[in-house]
Amino acid sequence: MDFLAEGLRRAAHLLFTADPEVTGVAWLTLKVACTATVIACAIGLPVGFALATRPFWGRRATLTIVNTALAFPTVVVGLLLYGLLSRRGPLGGLEWLYTWQAIVVGDVLLALPIAAALSAAAVQGVDPRIRRTALTLGAGRWRTAWTIAREARFGLAAVVTAAFGQCIAEVGAAMIVGGNIRGQTRTLTTAVALSTAQGDFGLALALGLILILLALLVNVALQLLQGEAGSHA
Amino acid sequence: MLELRDIRHRYEGRTVLELAEFTVPRGGFTAIVGHNGSGKSTLLRLLALLERPTAGEVWLDGRRESAPGRRPTLAARRRVTLVEQRPILFRGQVRANLGYGLMVRGVGGAEVNRRIDQAAERLGVDGLLDRTRRELSEGEIQRVAVARALAVAPDVLLLDEPVSSADRAAAATLYQVLEEERRSRGLTVCLASHQLEDAYRWSDDIRALAEGRLSPVTPENLFRVNLPAEGGEAKSVRVGPVSIVAVTDKTGPAILAVPPTDILVSLEPIPSSARNVFTGRVTRLSRPRPGTVHLTADVGIDLVALITEAAARELGLVPGSPVALAFKANAVRVF
Repeated sequence: MDFLAEGLRRAAHLLFTADPEVTGVAWLTLKVACTATVIACAIGLPVGFALATRPFWGRRATLTIVNTALAFPTVVVGLLLYGLLSRRGPLGGLEWLYTWQAIVVGDVLLALPIAAALSAAAVQGVDPRIRRTALTLGAGRWRTAWTIAREARFGLAAVVTAAFGQCIAEVGAAMIVGGNIRGQTRTLTTAVALSTAQGDFGLALALGLILILLALLVNVALQLLQGEAGSHA
Repeated sequence: MLELRDIRHRYEGRTVLELAEFTVPRGGFTAIVGHNGSGKSTLLRLLALLERPTAGEVWLDGRRESAPGRRPTLAARRRVTLVEQRPILFRGQVRANLGYGLMVRGVGGAEVNRRIDQAAERLGVDGLLDRTRRELSEGEIQRVAVARALAVAPDVLLLDEPVSSADRAAAATLYQVLEEERRSRGLTVCLASHQLEDAYRWSDDIRALAEGRLSPVTPENLFRVNLPAEGGEAKSVRVGPVSIVAVTDKTGPAILAVPPTDILVSLEPIPSSARNVFTGRVTRLSRPRPGTVHLTADVGIDLVALITEAAARELGLVPGSPVALAFKANAVRVF
């Protein structure tokens, strides 16, 4: 039990002393997770919306693919992305391998199915009369979509939270395409993995606690935003 | 004004509506009557340009607006508004709901509030403006939905069972408002209802739908008659070759309606208080939904009775069976 107490003590110490290395890792983690969440949601929410509302050929197959993608192992995604971004890969020219951008791409690929599948489910849960009512009252396509999204806003907020959770907790792909380079691509999750491998369990636990704290703070912020929007409904 | 041409509409491989022609005349009040599942709501959604027909066309003022592969224009959609049978309100207060249609049309400021207040007052929902949908009864939601539709002053208002959750006073208010709108600005109204009394009282044209098709006769057991002056309150009224006893103080042209649910079916006449007892033969048995049988009997006139599947089975009814139909004079509705 000593190492648990040690971990808590070190976490508190690292937080209160604002250790520059830990601060840098935490900041990079937050930057990567937020960027990836924004990109994944910007693409995934409209895709989910279309899957839920637009009858098109191959819709069912697309939904099946998106739902299957939810279960993609992160290391496999990392491996595929590594192949694409490596010098000999088709995207080698970008020179993104072992950069934070590569981690963002990996996170986006993993969060995208979550954003698409969960937002499709949230929108499908909206009473179909809402759409018909908006249309019959003279709303255009975009206004109708906005009205439906407003009705599904608690579900859609959960989508953003889940996508963020995926991005901030991701380790497999980040390790493969980021390389866990100190000061450059080391995130909290990869740092935890490294510290554990090196036997520094106290530091690993401390970093893990900081990661949880960070996730908690962002989720509280999202909930506050949601509450703010709710009060104007 | 609104016209359906050669419509054949299908859901999941099943044809639910088949109409060669259906017209809603400008400024008219058209009532569509029929059972649940007869296609009334589908018809209204096609007229409202909310669904495109699987085959056929919807025309508005001489312009083809909706057809397979042809999406109706926003301008056309904004001229026709539908209030569904079980309307839904958006999140937020009633006031925001009433202003929704105006907001999407870009109407702003004081004009929005003026029109919201006006529509709310006319439908008697002005005291509900600050409430949300969770704080309203079904009847109140229906009234708010009609007020919301009227706030945008559509050219055509389509209503699907608009008073199903309303009390008589609220229903009367609604019909009076519709009548005023027709008189003042030529609003065209098309209403689906199973309440024949309302349909006959307020509409100037009634169409009956049965199993997705226009029925040549208005629904079951409706008879145009001439009520005699003599006979007191329980009058014997000639309907073709038979006489029906009805309780009414009206005289002159009228419509008699005998609700199919009020007709007692037996194999031969049985002693009872019913003033109307007819014998004849079963001509048709149909099953509009599981467990329910529509029995049509020729007793000199065609009468339809609604019985359960179990009752039909126990009586051994088949087309051609002798049958006795009985109903009380008080069961006969007079319009």
